[in-house]
Amino acid sequence: MPDASHKYLTLFVAEASEHLAALQSELVRLEQEPPAAPLWDSIFRRMHSVKGSAATLGFMRIVDIAHAAENLIARLKGKHEQLERGEVDLLFAATDALVKEIVKLDKKEEPEGTITLVDRLAKAAQALPDPALLVQRAPKPEEPKPSADPSLPRLDVVVTLGRSCAAPGARALIVQRKMKALGVLLEMEPMPAQLMQQKGGARITAVLASLTATDEVRQALVGLPEVEQVEVRIAPAARTIDTPAPPRRLTPPSVPTVRPALTPPPVDPDELRPEPTVRVRAEALDKLLDQAAEVLHGIARLRERARKLPENVAGSFDAEIDRLRRTARELHGRVMSARLTPFSSLTERLPRAVRDLAHRLDKEIELEVQGTEVELDRTVIEAMGDPLSHLVRNAADHGIESTKERLKAGKPPRGKLTVSARRERDKVIVELRDDGRGMDAAALRRKAVKSASLTEEAATALSDDAAYELAFLPGVSTREDATEVSGRGVGLDAVQRQVESLGGKVSIRSTPGKGTTFVLELPLSVSMANLLLVQVGGEMFGLPLHRVVLTTEYDLSARGGEGFEARSLVVMGQLVRAYGLAKMFGLPSLAPPGPRPFVVMEVDGLRFAISVDRLVGQEEAVLKPLFPPIDRVRGLAGTTVLGNGRPLLVLDPRGLAELCGVHEPIKPPALAKGVA
Amino acid sequence: MPKRVLIVDDALFMRNTLRDIFSSAGFTVAGEADDGVQAVNLFRELKPDLVTMDIVMPYKSGIDATREIVQHDPNAVVVMCSALGQESLVMEAIEAGATDFIVKPFRGEDVLAVVKKVLGE
Repeated sequence: MPDASHKYLTLFVAEASEHLAALQSELVRLEQEPPAAPLWDSIFRRMHSVKGSAATLGFMRIVDIAHAAENLIARLKGKHEQLERGEVDLLFAATDALVKEIVKLDKKEEPEGTITLVDRLAKAAQALPDPALLVQRAPKPEEPKPSADPSLPRLDVVVTLGRSCAAPGARALIVQRKMKALGVLLEMEPMPAQLMQQKGGARITAVLASLTATDEVRQALVGLPEVEQVEVRIAPAARTIDTPAPPRRLTPPSVPTVRPALTPPPVDPDELRPEPTVRVRAEALDKLLDQAAEVLHGIARLRERARKLPENVAGSFDAEIDRLRRTARELHGRVMSARLTPFSSLTERLPRAVRDLAHRLDKEIELEVQGTEVELDRTVIEAMGDPLSHLVRNAADHGIESTKERLKAGKPPRGKLTVSARRERDKVIVELRDDGRGMDAAALRRKAVKSASLTEEAATALSDDAAYELAFLPGVSTREDATEVSGRGVGLDAVQRQVESLGGKVSIRSTPGKGTTFVLELPLSVSMANLLLVQVGGEMFGLPLHRVVLTTEYDLSARGGEGFEARSLVVMGQLVRAYGLAKMFGLPSLAPPGPRPFVVMEVDGLRFAISVDRLVGQEEAVLKPLFPPIDRVRGLAGTTVLGNGRPLLVLDPRGLAELCGVHEPIKPPALAKGVA
Repeated sequence: MPKRVLIVDDALFMRNTLRDIFSSAGFTVAGEADDGVQAVNLFRELKPDLVTMDIVMPYKSGIDATREIVQHDPNAVVVMCSALGQESLVMEAIEAGATDFIVKPFRGEDVLAVVKKVLGE
């Protein structure tokens, strides 16, 4: 009976998912390198662990698949020739099927049939020799036929094993060991090895030479688990002896006499073990982070209140608040670092993805992943999954050439894709490098002009390096044919948007004929943001400071009055379009006539300005994601709570730029990038 | 005195399940180990009345750990926890000195029946 209400179901799902994710990578390695024993052991162990836990929960479909896969793994391990693609594919299929089953469990859905896959796995396994049987057939050192003092009574022993006995061979071995402890075992039929993998109980007959009383022998054997019935009789041919014989044991339990006092293992495997860890639900950490942030907010509120205190009290109050704030900040920092997740959790699925892509595209691609131990905030990791897959697909599809093309260009037939992460101060640099054909700057220029993103003159003025960045514009692609796997350009804008929404940057380096590198600069964490607080129409908004170039004041009323839609300002010698924030959000502007503040921001090298009623100040705040329905409002990035307890909407400069039309590629003057 | 048990399994899920079974039957869970190396170290430290030992584990298998434990204390009671289709490994473990075994999937009462028998209760 499947036990979907088991209290450890979530734990099972988590552990199994981890094993299956790691299996994906290990199976890819299986194809790439001559498989070594430790790799096989790890693959076997993972499959086995999933099976064992699933069996306890009664998820028999999972057990069936994992068991069939495990059998195939055990046999493949013993195979000395090169593995066939089909065999590995079958293991991938099993892993995929298990993932599906686990996902269904997680969603509490009823799993469906898996009979065909199990059949295919079993057929593949049957074609290979069974390692367990091979071991048995290996010649064992011939045991000398047991002999006993002919004067000892011979006991006929019949042991019946229960029908539910799951491993009669092992059970018989224990019975055998027990009998050997009671006397000299002269005969046993069947032997334990003969009972292996037999179902439905067993009847074992034995002849034991022993002075132990029949009753005592019976008691000892009946005391063993799964032993249903025991008959012990003195063999008719033997000389009888008075039944209450002295319970003299003939042989001590078979413990070898010479024993080294605990031989130390050759290598201390302790060193291989990772630091002890505790498993915490990600959600619990999120809550903890929220609460740590609340504490910070609370302290900020206290500080605000303290300002209103008479000066003689305020001083000591301030000092206490400062101390509290330092501790709270440290606490917040610690929770943040507990949320750090290794880069490997992002790259785990890449080997499998690249393998499948290579097969599909009929190319040879080698993937190298470096810096898997580098840690990033979980939010960043989660947000980067899709962009990274997209870049990998792009590189495999468009970057790396076909084998024929590579050979013609004098390159090794196998293309190489390197994904690396490294920490640089408060940033993590992720690079995705291919050794393919490189990007075609001329084609990008043509495309940009054709899609009306750029004028002919602006395009020719672009350096090659600047032209590569055109790939981030929506609708620009270096290849005329968008393939089934990916179309370059399609989605690169999405990649950029995602990276920038995290406060990161993405850039391209490319050398024709040598390859392309995408460089992603990611923040270690995203939750803390420095905000510029502005007021418009009585509402307060936050603007991420890293996007703000400068603030300035202009008197536009002198040049056309209120209600303007767009004006141009000259900022640092450059013409910048200006927009009214109040107008954008349909708020009344409460600014008095005369000079008013403008915030100049930069997105993608494009500058634009927004007018506000008042600049309020700066604040470091913990950003929280938007919740429905306001998550659909364009121009908003998140919310936060100010020190005075007031909620605040944080604006998204990229969204604002789009809202203003600055960022739409249709406006040629907007594309000042690379020219300036 | 409640009997003290050391639970060895690399899956936290299995350890938790076994812990519940033993706790509800009045045993004291003296410790838990998630690989063979830790199992041997904890056995020496805790001297439990009973060890439940998984077979397939990282760093050191349950069979090797059992061998070392029994070498250290010939009276150690080690019950192997094996999954279906591992009979040859279980037999190897018995030869290495394991007292008995249980086969997953198991119910609480199956585990307790075996354990009580091997502890002579």
